[in-house]
Amino acid sequence: MTEEPYRWLEAVANRRDYVREQLKDGSPVFAASLDDGILLLGVGSGQSKVFELFDRHAMAGLGHPADIEKIRQAAIDAAHLEAFTRAPEDVSLRRLIGFGLGPQLKTAFEQIFSAPFLIELILAELGDSPEKDLLFRLRFDGTFQSRHGGILVAASQPGRETEAAAFLHSHLNASSQPAEAAARMLETWWCLTHAKPLGAEAPDQAERTAGWKTDLQDRVVEIGWLSRRAAKLARFETLSRESLGL
Amino acid sequence: MTQSIAGDFLSLLAGNSLAPFRPDVVGGAGGFTPTQATTVFAFQCADGVLMAGDRRATAGNQIVTDRVDKVLEIDATSLLAIAGVPATAFEMARVMQTSFEYYRRSQLQSLSLPAKVRALARLLRDNLPMTLQGIGIVAPLFAGLDTSTVPAKPRIYFYDPLGAQFQAVGYAASGSGSGSIRSVLSFQERHGSPKPTEMKIKEAVQFALRLLITASEFDSATGGVDPTTDSFATLKLLKPEGVVTITDAEQKEWLQA
Repeated sequence: MTEEPYRWLEAVANRRDYVREQLKDGSPVFAASLDDGILLLGVGSGQSKVFELFDRHAMAGLGHPADIEKIRQAAIDAAHLEAFTRAPEDVSLRRLIGFGLGPQLKTAFEQIFSAPFLIELILAELGDSPEKDLLFRLRFDGTFQSRHGGILVAASQPGRETEAAAFLHSHLNASSQPAEAAARMLETWWCLTHAKPLGAEAPDQAERTAGWKTDLQDRVVEIGWLSRRAAKLARFETLSRESLGL
Repeated sequence: MTQSIAGDFLSLLAGNSLAPFRPDVVGGAGGFTPTQATTVFAFQCADGVLMAGDRRATAGNQIVTDRVDKVLEIDATSLLAIAGVPATAFEMARVMQTSFEYYRRSQLQSLSLPAKVRALARLLRDNLPMTLQGIGIVAPLFAGLDTSTVPAKPRIYFYDPLGAQFQAVGYAASGSGSGSIRSVLSFQERHGSPKPTEMKIKEAVQFALRLLITASEFDSATGGVDPTTDSFATLKLLKPEGVVTITDAEQKEWLQA
């Protein structure tokens, strides 16, 4: 098959369709760079969506739990090896993704006789200010985009993901409080998972709030916080809905 | 001052009138003498475990520096105080920091206190060849949070250079100035008022600084505390909620209170 280019292209296209089909019911995740730190949020079953990677690094993702776990372990291994061999300050998300995770995911995706990774990820690196924060959007095929500060969404459908990011950008900025950011993210999560519009026709805030509160009765909101103000090396902490007053 | 333990290789050779090294190479006049970090201690106070260390490192009768941090935060619930050869001790601390955090992040749960205590014992045992050669001895103290009780309780452990681990009930000290400090702590615990375990943080810090001042009067390898030159100790408090560093400004204020 690999000697015939058109069949290979078709096979890769089929894999892309297969991955999107598998991910279509995935629960989206969010990250926002704020004045006091970076907030990551997902709705899952507890320790399933949002994870600490290293002192100033965290990850949020959707997809197959086993694949998320493989990527998480690979990132943690690489970060700690780098920190021990050189120094914690040398652990950089750009190198971790550009030279490690990205190429590995691309290779796995294009090896058409083995199973691809079923994941969509956001990775975050805390800087000294929101403008120096680094947010990466890493996709199942190894492609990635980065941005300094701002907001990122990872959802199973690219079009809806763009809508959600625009919606959040119109409601949040760096000076927003973590509780407010988390509330807007949960409203966006509800709109995405219920196929509600996110533009001018979006449901009003009361409906969005009532929607996510109803949906979350038997689910866990996973909230990770990379604190810019903490005096300790490990800046990641887990926040609860109660601690944010949600 | 070069530390040694009974029966180490150098002592054995010396007992048989054998000189393994040229005197101008190891320990001799003008030769190489390993750097040592001295005098650390920890005691239970009302707010948790206060761990303290002077900031002096020596090599023989030379003062190498008065700016060493010998009390190190290994993770959010563990402290290590080093006495002995810093080259080895700092590397042990780095191994512990990386491995404890790696375990917590990868396994999504913290390493248990007994496992942390044994990890340090294993590092000391792995250092046995250097210890027996008489040039790499480390005699650390470790404080960690015991989460098997409610509320969590900070515990103190001390080690011999071969890696045997012991839990201290109220206090432990290590390094060349530890004799003076253990004597005062023992006296205060038996006959003093308030006892160290009854001291609130300000009182405990003042007591710890005075202990270091006392030790420095009897041991030249122990750096003292001198507010007039802004020379203070490294002090960290391990509480059920985590580690708190006592700053130089707080030490200055509380010492003079």
